[in-house]
Amino acid sequence: MSRASGFRYRRRRVTDIFAKTLGIAATAFGLFWLTWILLVTFNNGLHALSPAIFSQTTPPPGGQGGLANALFGSLVMCVLGVLIGAPLGIAAGTYLSEFAERQPAWRESVRFVNDILLSAPSIVLGLFVYTLAVRSVGHFSAWAGGISLGLIVLPVVVRTTDETLRLVPNVMREAALSLGIPRWKVTVQVLYRAAAPGILTGVLLGLARISGETAPLLFTSLNNQYWTDNINTPMASVPVVIFQFAMSPYDSWHALAWAGAFVVTLFVLLLSVGARAYFLRNRINTVA
Amino acid sequence: MNKMAEDPALTQATPAKISVRDLDFYYHGYHALKNVNLDIPERKVTSIIGPSGCGKSTLLRVFNRIYSAYAGLEATGQVLLDGENILARDFSLNRLRTRVGMVFQRAVPFPLSIYENVAYGLRHHLKLSRIQLDERVERALRESALWNEVKDKLNTSALSLSGGQQQRLCIARAVALRPQVLLLDEPTSALDPIATGHIEQLLSELQSDYTIVIVTHNMQQAARVSTYTAYMFLGEMIEFGVTADLFTRPQRRQTEDYITGRFG
Repeated sequence: MSRASGFRYRRRRVTDIFAKTLGIAATAFGLFWLTWILLVTFNNGLHALSPAIFSQTTPPPGGQGGLANALFGSLVMCVLGVLIGAPLGIAAGTYLSEFAERQPAWRESVRFVNDILLSAPSIVLGLFVYTLAVRSVGHFSAWAGGISLGLIVLPVVVRTTDETLRLVPNVMREAALSLGIPRWKVTVQVLYRAAAPGILTGVLLGLARISGETAPLLFTSLNNQYWTDNINTPMASVPVVIFQFAMSPYDSWHALAWAGAFVVTLFVLLLSVGARAYFLRNRINTVA
Repeated sequence: MNKMAEDPALTQATPAKISVRDLDFYYHGYHALKNVNLDIPERKVTSIIGPSGCGKSTLLRVFNRIYSAYAGLEATGQVLLDGENILARDFSLNRLRTRVGMVFQRAVPFPLSIYENVAYGLRHHLKLSRIQLDERVERALRESALWNEVKDKLNTSALSLSGGQQQRLCIARAVALRPQVLLLDEPTSALDPIATGHIEQLLSELQSDYTIVIVTHNMQQAARVSTYTAYMFLGEMIEFGVTADLFTRPQRRQTEDYITGRFG
């Protein structure tokens, strides 16, 4: 090795170490805040956690109580959101991947519009549904909340369905079509099976996303201090209760807000980790 | 250009199952097949050979019209299956594909059990009892020389099979419908020599029941498995004839250059 190339080699090593250090530092910087947020949430949330959280409803100012009505409301509206967003999203994603090939310009436009919807501020969606489903009927309701959450789930599911189906090798489509089986049946019976883990992951990620959404619910389901299972009335939800209680001057409300934050964070965390683990485990078995 | 295909001595020995007449094919305007004429004899193995990009796979994909799953692909001319033009607008695609089965280069089983992979087409086209279905699945797996290896694990995932087994499963899947024609698009190019030997052995057994068309870039394979061979170059059918004649006494200079490796 000549002297010149030895020098060049040393310079490359220094550059390498420098770039690696920067990369690690940037990662650590990002992780630091995430860890801090999680630690504070878990610490405060665990202290505030008690059986009453799940059995009692939200208390009046300064009183003792729980989050039962808000947890139930969140559950109802998230289920509504998934029921609205997932079937529509799977249908639209399937159309984009499998049936829109002969209209490429139209297909790309729909994908583009869907990406815009994906990044639309959720408060705008809330205002949209407010005009559509609250003002027109004259009152806030859980189903209006469900619709606005559905609009958040929709583009997530459209995109994951579209992308997962496009990962299925073409030869699998051709092999099934070569058996004289019509395209729709090939899609439903063969391609969905191959793409199931990805599509399911999309739905679960959509669910994780909406379980912490506050803005779309402020204008639609509003809030409710009492227990209700009537979806035609305003309904409490954990994020809105956190928003309201955290800004109040009462210590008992602050504690409940922490407890709510803890429960939601834990739920989303488990859902995301679970969905990814499931997807990784199944990808080995399905995408050949 | 197509003198050989029209030579009566060669084509009248066995009746033609598929007759290609003045076939042109376009990929988004690119002229991929140029005035191809060919008669594929019934119940024989016919190989289509030629360098990459010569249009041999394209020609094969016309025979079951699988190309029509994509936009911008167009075939003109006639392809007669037992005298009926399959390119006719009103020719039922799904009926065509029950008569003309296809096996692809990459063995991709459906994400189903071994049994369900073979039963899939049968379930769609025929209303069979459980017993009849079991029989048809077993027969297809025996025909594809896979039965002894899988008979004790029919309900396990087809993805647990080896590459060679997966390709034989794909053949079983195609023959389960009892098609008249079996198209194979480089079926052994991803397999090791032993698995390739199994498939080639299988083809010679299947030709008593099926008209087989195999696309291969491997000339030795064409010589081993086929009775007839077609040589294509740049989208044109250069020469068609009995395999032994084509390899020993090629009629055209281009064919000779290719089979002797002087091709450049």
